Amino acid sequence: MTLASLTNLTAHYDAGEGRFHALDDVGLDVESGRILGVVGESGCGKSTMASVLSLNPAPSLRVTSGTLAVGGKDVDLTDPASHRPLRGGTVALLPQGALNALNPTRRVGALAHDILAAGDRRIKRSESLRRTAARLEALELPPRVLRAYPHQLSGGMRQRVVTALATLRNPRLLVADEPSSALDVSSQRLLVDLLRRLVSDGLVEGIVFITHDVALLSELADRIAVMYAGRVVEEAPARDLVASPRHPYSQALLASVLVPEPGTRGRRLAGIPGSPPDLRAPIAGCLFAPRCEHAMDKCTAERPPRLVTGPRDDSCWRSAESEEAVDAA
Amino acid sequence: MTLLRHILAKLGWYAAAFAAALALNFFLPRLLPGNPVDTLIGQALRGHASSETKQRVYETYIAEFGLDQNLWTQFLTYIGKTVQGDFGTSFSRYPADVASMVADALPWTIALQLPAVLLGWLIGNLVGAVAAYRRGGFDRSVYLSSLFLTAAPYYCLAVLLLYGLAVALPLFPAGGGWSFGLKPEWTGLFAVDAVSHWFLPFLSLLLVFIGGQAIGMRSMAVYEVDADYVRFAESFGLADRKIIGYIFRNGMLPQVTGLALAIGTLVGGALLTEIVFSYPGIGTLLYEAILNKDYPVIQAVTLLVLVVVLVANFLVDVLYGLIDPRIRAAERGER
Repeated sequence: MTLASLTNLTAHYDAGEGRFHALDDVGLDVESGRILGVVGESGCGKSTMASVLSLNPAPSLRVTSGTLAVGGKDVDLTDPASHRPLRGGTVALLPQGALNALNPTRRVGALAHDILAAGDRRIKRSESLRRTAARLEALELPPRVLRAYPHQLSGGMRQRVVTALATLRNPRLLVADEPSSALDVSSQRLLVDLLRRLVSDGLVEGIVFITHDVALLSELADRIAVMYAGRVVEEAPARDLVASPRHPYSQALLASVLVPEPGTRGRRLAGIPGSPPDLRAPIAGCLFAPRCEHAMDKCTAERPPRLVTGPRDDSCWRSAESEEAVDAA
Repeated sequence: MTLLRHILAKLGWYAAAFAAALALNFFLPRLLPGNPVDTLIGQALRGHASSETKQRVYETYIAEFGLDQNLWTQFLTYIGKTVQGDFGTSFSRYPADVASMVADALPWTIALQLPAVLLGWLIGNLVGAVAAYRRGGFDRSVYLSSLFLTAAPYYCLAVLLLYGLAVALPLFPAGGGWSFGLKPEWTGLFAVDAVSHWFLPFLSLLLVFIGGQAIGMRSMAVYEVDADYVRFAESFGLADRKIIGYIFRNGMLPQVTGLALAIGTLVGGALLTEIVFSYPGIGTLLYEAILNKDYPVIQAVTLLVLVVVLVANFLVDVLYGLIDPRIRAAERGER
């Protein structure tokens, strides 16, 4: 069952004279009880997408089209003013840099009460504390955390407290925007386990996990979407994508990192030649074409269609043409 | 226990600072060139007496004020008397008692400045925090008007207010602490009259203080606004009021130091305000004392400023711990 589906999201930042086209017709589906990973290099628009998906777009971002259907509701993404009541309750954000996400001069319990009171103005403090204590216990945090200030908690505990707070109002969808990027490897491991548990225990229905770390994602996610220059170029079940990426960019991305699997030891890493396109000017064809070793004339002229085959899809002229060849035969 | 020891250690430092300042307080006015008795005689005799008479009067005054003793003996006398709460008699308004001169001027100064400083601090900081959070046009107008209020020479602002609200539009009296014909006493009539005289100088001080605090808070708060904890709070749709409260609490620490200094120095009087609005207060008292080299009055006023600055700073030191739990933890010797 589809929990949340993002369709036709296009957005830009105003950049002086022109526009910076950050997101171009992005669409994603999150299944109930699943974790969707979004991966891409820095500047590909994944954090911008996370901000829109979590209903917290930056004031300078202009969303020109896009709808988010979540939990039976259709949210018009072009109107950020209407989002406030949905934040934290329907969709919640697990932020980047959890170490500084807690107000340094507020006790965890008081912050939790503020968060719950944002959803239900008449909630009593005692009720807030009771619910927060229960949630902390579910994440194996001692009740004394309620009375603690952030500086009294260790980094790992703070990460778990932030996770507990983000899910406090039982959001349907949790958007995790690179929550692991500032963590050491063992804390990343704990975070991955924690997120899996959130889903399996039903504390959240689905997670969108945004990262540049393909290796981490291959362990955590059920499905992976690959973003390049503001577009989703390929989406597939995690295993399939890691084992046999179809889009040339996905192939290049996977060739440039080490994913723990048999045969990793002897592999050589390849970089991707060139650099991402300048998104200030609209580009007609495939955005990856200038760096793609398989590029054809058609690639720079026309935008490749999204081709769905079974559980996976990709947007590349090569896949589209081999499909046509199969159909013709 | 460690907290108590920490406070005691701090008190020790304050005592040392007080002793050093007390010595400076005695010696600095005496480094002024000239002699108070010369000024006094110049005024009293107006040059009519013979030089022999002048000489006799001179010696009498010198002996009376104890200026014939050496500085060190004078200093010990000063310390002894100060400890007993005796600030001596004024040189220029002999035989007026310095303590009662200060006591007469102090209520006016406190009534004028304390509300202006406290209210100005609160309003200025709130406005600064809101401006930093809201950004855009509101921020720009707050920033520019605050800049104008603090950068424009104070006497210009005061004179503009005086002209606008007392002359062009005569809502308030133009000067003085109370109307002609009344005398300070506890009656309703006098109170109403005093408040109407108080309002303009109060307003001028309030505006300037709001401006300075708003600029300070705004520049603190622009860093807080982009902090991760603000983003996280916003992601739950917390009310703006709540988030501004967070920013205010985290950005106010340096501002509290400013408040302590302002409270400390306010007992020194606001000389320009008192001059422009012909308002009674410590500022004028100190100004005249310096002109007349009235050592006891100068010393009494600077001692008062000194004590209040030290007390205010000590309170702020303690208050810091209440505002920021991290400082409290450090004071307790925790991590």
